[in-house]
Amino acid sequence: MKTYTYKKSQELFKKAAEVIPCGIYGHFSPAPLIPVTDYPFYIDKAKGSRFWDVDGNEFIDYMCAYGPMVLGYNNPLIDAAAEEQRKKVNCGTAPARVMVDLAQEMVNTVDIADWAFFAKNGADMTTFSLMVARAHTGRNKIIRLKGGYHGTAPWMQSPDHHGITFNDNKDIVMGEWNNYEALEKYIHEHKGEVAGIISTPYHHPTFADNELPAKGYWKKVEALCKNEGVVLIIDAVRTGFRLDYGGSNEYFDFKPDLIAFCKAIANGYPISSLVGTNEMMNAASNVFHTGSYWYSAEPMAAALATIRELKRVNAVEKMFETGTKLGNGLIELAKDHGYNMKMSGHPAMPYFRITDDPSLMLHQKWCGECTKRGAYFTSHHNWFMSAAHTDEDIAETLKIADEGFKAIKE
Amino acid sequence: MSYQLIKAGINLYAIFKNLEDLIALDEESRNLIKGKKISIQFLVKNGPKAWLQFENETCKVGQGIMHNPSVKLWFKSPEHLNKMFDGEANPIPLKGFTKLGFLQKEFVKITEKLEYYLKPEKLENPSKEYIEINTRFTLTVAAFALPEIVKYNREAKLSASHIPDGKIQLWVLPNDPAVFLTVKNGEISAQKGTTEKPDAIMEMKDYQTANNFLNGKSNPFLAIAIGDVIIRGQTNMLDSLSLILDKVQNYV
Repeated sequence: MKTYTYKKSQELFKKAAEVIPCGIYGHFSPAPLIPVTDYPFYIDKAKGSRFWDVDGNEFIDYMCAYGPMVLGYNNPLIDAAAEEQRKKVNCGTAPARVMVDLAQEMVNTVDIADWAFFAKNGADMTTFSLMVARAHTGRNKIIRLKGGYHGTAPWMQSPDHHGITFNDNKDIVMGEWNNYEALEKYIHEHKGEVAGIISTPYHHPTFADNELPAKGYWKKVEALCKNEGVVLIIDAVRTGFRLDYGGSNEYFDFKPDLIAFCKAIANGYPISSLVGTNEMMNAASNVFHTGSYWYSAEPMAAALATIRELKRVNAVEKMFETGTKLGNGLIELAKDHGYNMKMSGHPAMPYFRITDDPSLMLHQKWCGECTKRGAYFTSHHNWFMSAAHTDEDIAETLKIADEGFKAIKE
Repeated sequence: MSYQLIKAGINLYAIFKNLEDLIALDEESRNLIKGKKISIQFLVKNGPKAWLQFENETCKVGQGIMHNPSVKLWFKSPEHLNKMFDGEANPIPLKGFTKLGFLQKEFVKITEKLEYYLKPEKLENPSKEYIEINTRFTLTVAAFALPEIVKYNREAKLSASHIPDGKIQLWVLPNDPAVFLTVKNGEISAQKGTTEKPDAIMEMKDYQTANNFLNGKSNPFLAIAIGDVIIRGQTNMLDSLSLILDKVQNYV
């Protein structure tokens, strides 16, 4: 099987590094792509479940733009809805009608939602959720969980990171995933001080197996929050519309007060949303939070079309199915080659790890070998399935994975 | 106060650590200790303690208290020690007055040579040999400075607490010079050489690349992206480690 090279990607990166800090910054940084020489840096075009890099190499994409792509790249239906709105107005002096339609769709779709607020990125909404929780409770402290990611605003980062101070984290308290007792203890010991708890619905850190909630965990957290007047915030930026149309909390059978959405909400068009219960609406109204492009109508039209299309094509069920097929296939293949492959998390966002080498070096090598044969796998992060991934994609991926296993043995 | 304490620890444990390689690699320095057997204890009040031993044309550097050294030098504070390293103060000898000649002549020449190899900015066109030694020394300083920074710097302590227990190997290909770091419960210790099963590896493809990387002359993201610096394994360990490494230049 032919392996790819990335001459043009490398050249472009060198140019980029002269005029862009880091060349490629943030979550697209090449640094966690290991071995870095096995990965493309720049994309040329994309369609369906695949993308082509600037060197002309074709990949079946299991990162889906790190989540936003959920119905396939350049989905004609979504693009047509966006284009129709763009022709009318995108960024205007007042909101477009589609904003109301989208809010209504969110309220109709997400079980706990009585209202919806829109912005651009996940972090806009996780930050807003903290402001709403504080406005609602009149309290300062927010509990977040170790290993949880909610964006890059100063409150979300550790104070040892560049540009962050200990003051930025003054009212942020670290809890631990699945440790209800510690949460309860802290909240009881700090009665009347905790405004909110923010967490992903299941634990999907990087460089570690993903963890589902322990039996009864969320029900207990929900009850604790209700009893203590703490706002329960779910960061569904990654999980939203991949686990359940009604909110990924529904998949785990509990009801938060606020849910932050982004990524899969508009199939790649820039929009995020915070939804909440009636009880939170007054606080959400009182908090002033806005941005130059938060009223852009084109992404709203794309989001409206995406949510409807997700339901129409049974995307959640499809992603579960293809993710499970992929996982089972990889586990079986690994076994045939004498390795143990572990799949954790939810099948629509699986995290894979070859457990034979805890340092991850073997797993990294395998992911790199697969990527340079056309199946884009990262080794540090959960992958993303989309409704555009087909059985043919899975079959082709397993062939590539087989070659990858052969390559790491050599 | 913590600044002086960290700097003193780095001076004694990281800068002086290079004396071992200096004596091994630099003939002129080695000749200065020919036929000499002398050990020096450095004692800093409320600060680090270290010893140097010159014997059989080799040098050993250790942390803590040495049994019966030839010379004992006392410093009334970490700041006092640091001033000595900057050439602005003298130590207070407690023992070994007959060896003061060595301290004032040969030892001064050895430390001047050490400084020469640690400061490439003073040379216009450093030779290949110079770059190799400078790279080796810079790597040692970086590795052995880390534990001192982690002990007393609040942010570094936090960064270290985020590093999972395990071993991190740093080396210049083909695997020499090499240092490795052991992380346990948020504490870091450094050793020269290689470890059998590192959890994370940072390898620099050659001396020049390593020199540029370690001396902050290259863009680390570019170096990693183009494969000049290769990282593998639990690279989340390296993410937190790099935050501490970035602080080394504040103290040396």
